[in-house]
Amino acid sequence: MEYPDNGAYMVAAYIVAAVVIAVYAVSLFYRIRKAAKR
Amino acid sequence: MTRRDSALRLARVGGVITSVALVAFAGIYVRALMFTPIERFQGPAQKIFYVHAPVAWAALLAFLVTGILSLLYLIMRDRKLDTIAAASAEVGVAFAVVMLTTGPLWGKPVWGTWWSWDARLTSTLFIFLLFVGYQVLRGALHDPEIRARFSAVMGVMALVLVPFIHVTVYWFRTLHPEPVLMKPERPSLPGVMLVTLLSSVAVCTLMYVGFLLMRYSLAVLRDIREEEIVDGVS
Repeated sequence: MEYPDNGAYMVAAYIVAAVVIAVYAVSLFYRIRKAAKR
Repeated sequence: MTRRDSALRLARVGGVITSVALVAFAGIYVRALMFTPIERFQGPAQKIFYVHAPVAWAALLAFLVTGILSLLYLIMRDRKLDTIAAASAEVGVAFAVVMLTTGPLWGKPVWGTWWSWDARLTSTLFIFLLFVGYQVLRGALHDPEIRARFSAVMGVMALVLVPFIHVTVYWFRTLHPEPVLMKPERPSLPGVMLVTLLSSVAVCTLMYVGFLLMRYSLAVLRDIREEEIVDGVS
C-alpha cells in the first residue's frame, strides 16, 4: 500500500517530545538533589 | 517525621513514579512506531497523534488542576493549595511545549501549513503564554501572600480557558480535528490505534503525577530553606 512520504515529520516530533520530557525530568531530579543537599 | 523528611519522601515517590512513566513512555514509542499500523491517508505523520494528543491532555489537566486549586486558595487561603497549583502550572508548561511543537510537525504534512490562527490553536497558544506569564509573575513577587493571591487570580483563568479550548472545535471553523475520545459518541478509531492512544494517555497522566509530586516537594524544600534563612537572620 502507498503512503504519503512524511516519516521525517513523525521522527522529528518523537525526538522533540522525548528531548523536552527528558530534559524536564532531569531538571527536576537535579533541582531536588540540589535543594536536598543544602 | 520532620517537614523536610516528608518532602524528601514525597520526592522519592515522585521520582519512582516519573521513572516508571518514562520507561513506559519509551514503550509507547515502540508500540506506536512498530506495532501500530500506518494510517492510509495521512501516512506515518499520523503517528504523531499518539504523542501529541496524550501530552495535550496532560497539559490541559495540569492547567485545570492549577485553576481549581487557585480558586480553592482564594476561598480557603491555604498556602499548600498555592504551592500545588504552582507546581502543576510548571509541569503544564513543560507538557504544553511538547504539545505546541508536535502539533505543527503534524499539521505541516497533513494540513499543508505549520500553523493556523483558528480558535483551537490560538486559544491553546494563549493558555501556554498565560502560564509562562504565571511563572514570570511568581518569580517577580517575593511576598508569599501577594504572590499566591496574584497568581491564583491568573490560575483561575485556566478554569474558563480549558473547557473553552475543548469546545472550540465544535463552536468555530477550525483545521484541528474533533476529539476521538472525549465526546458523547463511541471513540472513532480502530481498536489497535485506540489501545495505543489510551495507553499513551495513561502513561502521560502517570508522568504528570510523578512530575507534580517532584515539583511540589521541590517547592516545599525551597520553602523550608527560605524559612531557615529568615530564622537565621532574625
